[in-house]
Amino acid sequence: MYSKILKKFGVVLVVSLILALVASCGQAQPTPTASSPSATPTTPAYTPKAEDYIIRTTEDWPTYIDPAVGNDFSDSIALVNLYDSLVFPTPTGDVKPCIAESWDVSDDHLTYTFHLRHGVKFHNGDELTAEDVEFSMKRLLTIGEGFAYIFSPYIQDCTATDTYTVKITLKKPFGPFINALPRFYILNKRQVMEHIEKPGQYGDFGDYGKKWLLTNDAGSGPYKVKEMKMEEYLLAEKFDDYWGGWDPDAPKFFKESATSEPATEYALFAKRELEITDELLPLETYNSIAKINGATVVAFLNGNNFNIMLNTKKPPTDDIHFRKALAYCFDYDQVVSSIYPGCVQSRGPVPSVIPGHDPNVFQYHRDLDKAKAELAQSKYADKLDQYPISLSWCAEAPEEEKVALLFQANAAELGIKVQITKKPFGSMEADAQSVETTPNASLIFVASHYAEAGAMLMSRYHSSSCGSWEQCEWLQDPEIDQMIVDALATVDKQERFQKYYAIQEKIVDLCPTIWVFDQAERRAYQSAYVYWPAGEAAQSNKVYVPIMGYGMYAHDMKVYPEKRAELLSKP
Amino acid sequence: MSLLSFLTRRLALAIVVLIGLSILLFLIARVLPGDPARIALGPRAPEYAVEALRKQMNLDKPLYTQYYLWITSLLKGDLGISLLSRRPVQEDIKEYFPATFEEVLLAAIILSVGGIGLGILAAKYSNSWLDGIVRIFAYLGIVTPAFVWAILLLLIFGYWVPIFPIQGRFSPGITLPPTITGMLTLDSLLTGNWATFWDALKHLILPSLALAMAPMAQAARIMRSSLCADMGADHVYALTAYGVPENRILTKYLSRLSLIPTISIMSLDIVSLFAAAFVVELVFNFPGLSRYGMQAILNKDLNAISGVLLIFGVLFTLITILIDLIVAYLDPRIRLQRKSI
Repeated sequence: MYSKILKKFGVVLVVSLILALVASCGQAQPTPTASSPSATPTTPAYTPKAEDYIIRTTEDWPTYIDPAVGNDFSDSIALVNLYDSLVFPTPTGDVKPCIAESWDVSDDHLTYTFHLRHGVKFHNGDELTAEDVEFSMKRLLTIGEGFAYIFSPYIQDCTATDTYTVKITLKKPFGPFINALPRFYILNKRQVMEHIEKPGQYGDFGDYGKKWLLTNDAGSGPYKVKEMKMEEYLLAEKFDDYWGGWDPDAPKFFKESATSEPATEYALFAKRELEITDELLPLETYNSIAKINGATVVAFLNGNNFNIMLNTKKPPTDDIHFRKALAYCFDYDQVVSSIYPGCVQSRGPVPSVIPGHDPNVFQYHRDLDKAKAELAQSKYADKLDQYPISLSWCAEAPEEEKVALLFQANAAELGIKVQITKKPFGSMEADAQSVETTPNASLIFVASHYAEAGAMLMSRYHSSSCGSWEQCEWLQDPEIDQMIVDALATVDKQERFQKYYAIQEKIVDLCPTIWVFDQAERRAYQSAYVYWPAGEAAQSNKVYVPIMGYGMYAHDMKVYPEKRAELLSKP
Repeated sequence: MSLLSFLTRRLALAIVVLIGLSILLFLIARVLPGDPARIALGPRAPEYAVEALRKQMNLDKPLYTQYYLWITSLLKGDLGISLLSRRPVQEDIKEYFPATFEEVLLAAIILSVGGIGLGILAAKYSNSWLDGIVRIFAYLGIVTPAFVWAILLLLIFGYWVPIFPIQGRFSPGITLPPTITGMLTLDSLLTGNWATFWDALKHLILPSLALAMAPMAQAARIMRSSLCADMGADHVYALTAYGVPENRILTKYLSRLSLIPTISIMSLDIVSLFAAAFVVELVFNFPGLSRYGMQAILNKDLNAISGVLLIFGVLFTLITILIDLIVAYLDPRIRLQRKSI
């Protein structure tokens, strides 16, 4: 009897607890806030609140919002929204005036004089002046992190000559200098100096404000930091006094969260708590999201490419015919149709959307007869058993395994053995430090540092990048080195581009790399209530701005909360 | 052996273990492939910046000097700068540890109450439908990893029946309590901020439940097996013959006996929750120490790896001592054995 009562009591208790929990959770849903549109009223008389005008996206973490520290995808998204640069990139790969209204170049192309826009306000109300530009450039070069690598080999000095004029002197001519300037962001000197911590590694400048700038901004960009939670999210709010003005439907808030978990992003997207996904999701997740009402999945070429880097100093890939045999036997179509759909086969070392790409450079295709003919000319042709190829692929990018297996299968058709190793990226970086430890083949994605071919050619094939993961080829060709340096020093754009073409032709002929595909960045967005210029451009097969992060420039986006409410009101 | 001397001995042993641990984790962190300074600053950072960071991190010194400098700083409470967050590691730990701690604490409560409760129910109604359900749940629980539970719970309670938040520690717009312990639930309780308490608790429920499922299932199985085995013991027949009610035998006499192996296993499970938490924290974008530790390992953030592992090592040591004390309290044989030594 007693046990029966206990049993019934137990069952009733458990059921009651569950019901109470469910009921109370339902009642206690947060009041309509930026992150909970599901709770927003959905009646026809719906009046949007300020927090409804929000763009939420996700990205890999951590995010550094200090312009002298951050330089990856996540950082770039934050930087383009929080800070201004002297010039702003355009879809054609050129730049337009931004903080610099105009500029003059000296005859020897070593001195650039920038005339700054008047009346530009920083987020704290201070006016942006030439002194801030000078301070920002010196700070960037002194710290040496972030995008400093683009400028440090070239910049001799940066001086404010008057309140609105700044002069930058170069050590040597740098043709794409102006095109590289979007990567230089301007900070408020006074505000940073107020927050330096002493002692620090930068002498009188203490820590140069690095600690404070981890979670605060000192910019003049369209958005200012409202809340920065390390490891979690960056919430930025619209800067009302932004010099560039505002569209009435522009987002009032911009949030970048630290998650790239497929299930989480799917659930958030379906609940309309995520407007634009990141580019890191598996294809299956994009396909699922595409079925959600009002969702659009777009893919656009982002200026990155995927390479099979062949070690040109290690047998058997030190033999040019052996490398060409591999390039001819590889099944490119299989990769772009099945493994990375939406991507396009690369033509040479420079992605097709990067200005300076040679559209006529030779492109390798799968042709087994040519592959066999090349192999026959190789000194390893009759010793294939003694020379298996070592191949590493990056453990953090699971799809690469399929490419590795395809490469192995294709090579086997020629009788070449491939030994595949899955490695964390840290190990691949360590391996790349010497010729001996660099495998014969390394599968690696590479991004252009700025929007011009010279950036890619310099970082990928100049001898100065040997020993880093960006050049597992160990090309070390003095002639190519000289050609790259010469091209970068050429100020005339047409002439410079012609030189880029010649370099690309020469590199393709040496075949140090199997250029597999130009990467299509895939993202899903809420096209039913968000206007996203990069997404719209992708749908029209147009190029947006092919520079990392600029596709997420929230100032040019628009949000329609009424439409979101309408979507949420539907079952 | 008195309780005091037992404790003193265990604590002395713990210090030896922690010294060994410090050497081990110092070495482990340094045998991971890659140059930490280069990884931190990226492949394009100029060599002078990388070199400056190497010097700042003492990576330019011999390994034994590095260990000496690290251990002396550690004794002063300085764990160094994290390459990932660019802040002192102790600041990171102070921020992220309370989040993971309250997550694991709630998971421990769920697994203890759920595991023991389900075990007792299954044993009492052994071979009935209730026992069958518990058994199926236990098998499912044990074979399903925490991250799968996390995704399932997220989709069920975050999307299909959206009653729980699915990311972070609190909702935007919530007024946060002043930091007392760093644990949002506890701090909001201490300051009487009920709305924040409820909001923080709701954010904890899914991650904690996902963490607790597998060990709870295991605890239920052990508890049931242990109870069923003891039910046939002579002293149980004697108690029954004396007319002691069945439920009293079960809850007062048998449970105590069966708790000994269950608690021993549960204690290890609870400590391992800290390790299992990283995937759960990733799924729920929960800013905890486990996720921080995993990011540190992937980025070869030496100081952060050492700091996190040290914290977990200390916790492990303390929890095992605590469990020994609980087991000694539950099992008079252990207390008597100590006295006879």
